[in-house]
Amino acid sequence: METLDIALPRMALLYGLCLLPWLLLWLIGLRLSRDIGISILRMSIQLALVGIYLKMLFDLNHPWLNGLWILVMLLVADLSILRRAGLKARYFVLATFMAIASSILFSTAYLVILVIQPTHFYDARYIVPLAGMILGNCLQGNVIALERFYSALRKNENEYATFLMLGATRWEAVRPYFRDAVKAAINPTIAGMATMGLVSLPGMMTGQILGGSEPWLAVKYQIAIMICIFTSTTMACIINLKLSLNIAFNEFDVLRDEVIDKP
Amino acid sequence: MSPIIRFDRVSVIVHEKTILSDISFALFPGEKAVLCGKSGSGKSSVLRTLLGLHPIKSGTVYFQEQPLTPSSVQTVRSCTAYIGQEPMLGAESVREALLLPFQFKTHRDHKPTEAQLIEVLQRLHLPADILRQESSRISGGEKQRIALARGLLLGKKLYLLDEVTSALDAESKQAVFDVFSDPQLTVLSVAHDPEWLERCGIVFELEAGRLTQVKRNGNT
Repeated sequence: METLDIALPRMALLYGLCLLPWLLLWLIGLRLSRDIGISILRMSIQLALVGIYLKMLFDLNHPWLNGLWILVMLLVADLSILRRAGLKARYFVLATFMAIASSILFSTAYLVILVIQPTHFYDARYIVPLAGMILGNCLQGNVIALERFYSALRKNENEYATFLMLGATRWEAVRPYFRDAVKAAINPTIAGMATMGLVSLPGMMTGQILGGSEPWLAVKYQIAIMICIFTSTTMACIINLKLSLNIAFNEFDVLRDEVIDKP
Repeated sequence: MSPIIRFDRVSVIVHEKTILSDISFALFPGEKAVLCGKSGSGKSSVLRTLLGLHPIKSGTVYFQEQPLTPSSVQTVRSCTAYIGQEPMLGAESVREALLLPFQFKTHRDHKPTEAQLIEVLQRLHLPADILRQESSRISGGEKQRIALARGLLLGKKLYLLDEVTSALDAESKQAVFDVFSDPQLTVLSVAHDPEWLERCGIVFELEAGRLTQVKRNGNT
């Protein structure tokens, strides 16, 4: 079963649908035309470029080229996590990279090599979209974990100092904020798994069904990807926070001001 | 006898501002001292510097004649009780707050019994049923005494007190004075309360981060 193509005139019709929310926003006094215009334009250009690049990637299907693409995705995600979490990249870039790279590579390799078992483990058709989906979700989790952890520490500076004064080690003193941050980071994934299929049909499954796959096959892939997202997000958040503890504090266990980006 | 605390020409700069400048003093075991001066003169910073919470620009802080270093700071903190104006109890109930330090590895094997908890509360004129109360619902003065009780349960010998009598009524204040009349306890405090100043053997006066005067009352 082939997926029906959307011809260019009908794509134009699709863009026309945006006029409705634009009009509604204008009517309630929200002047977001510029932001909406830029976002739609960026989305279209970025996806078009990715489309061209993926086409080339799939045609060549070279292990080093696929690896390079994943490396670029990891680097962009690394910088994006730190910027959105309000931490200075020059201090944390390596720690965050190590955390996300190890967890993404582990879960993607587990899924592709042990579970899916394609002829070539580096097959771009599997490895690139799966790593991308896992990384996208992992990115959000890491932003939440880092942002939540360091905001809580700054907000509860006196409480943290009290724990130290009561004989806690650095690890013992940060543990309550650490646990809260990890919980906040993985909660959306846990909630997403609990309601999956009831509240909405997940994107990957919808894509596969539209692409002509059997629903049962799409379900199995969706379960696989959710388990990998959960695993890699949990792993990356814990590794990332743990590694950041060695960077963000001075030798007297005091949070260093200079590592945080001032709002 | 060697001093328990010694500041040797200590200067501290925080956010490019000098908060302590060339401070030198010593405090011996059992002595009770008070730091006074105007707001912003650096009184609380002396306490925080001793606990390793402010970076030392020059000079050396000694604790039991050992210089304060990243490896010795844990010893200083585990031997010291710091009680601020609005102490953080760090737990939901008063009982949990009192037992909090005993969750940490350093104190895990010294968890107090129920009788010890009640005894220490009585020493500070606190009723036993306060153990069941929520930390957020007790008054500032009660919080200070709970923080103090926690220090006593840990068997601390050095107390850093930042305006601890500010929220206390006369009776509670007397209870605190009684606790610190113990000659084994050393106190370095920040206070404005004339009664407290009178009871402390040594008065250090600070002005704009400098130690300007040391007065000895001669009653310790």
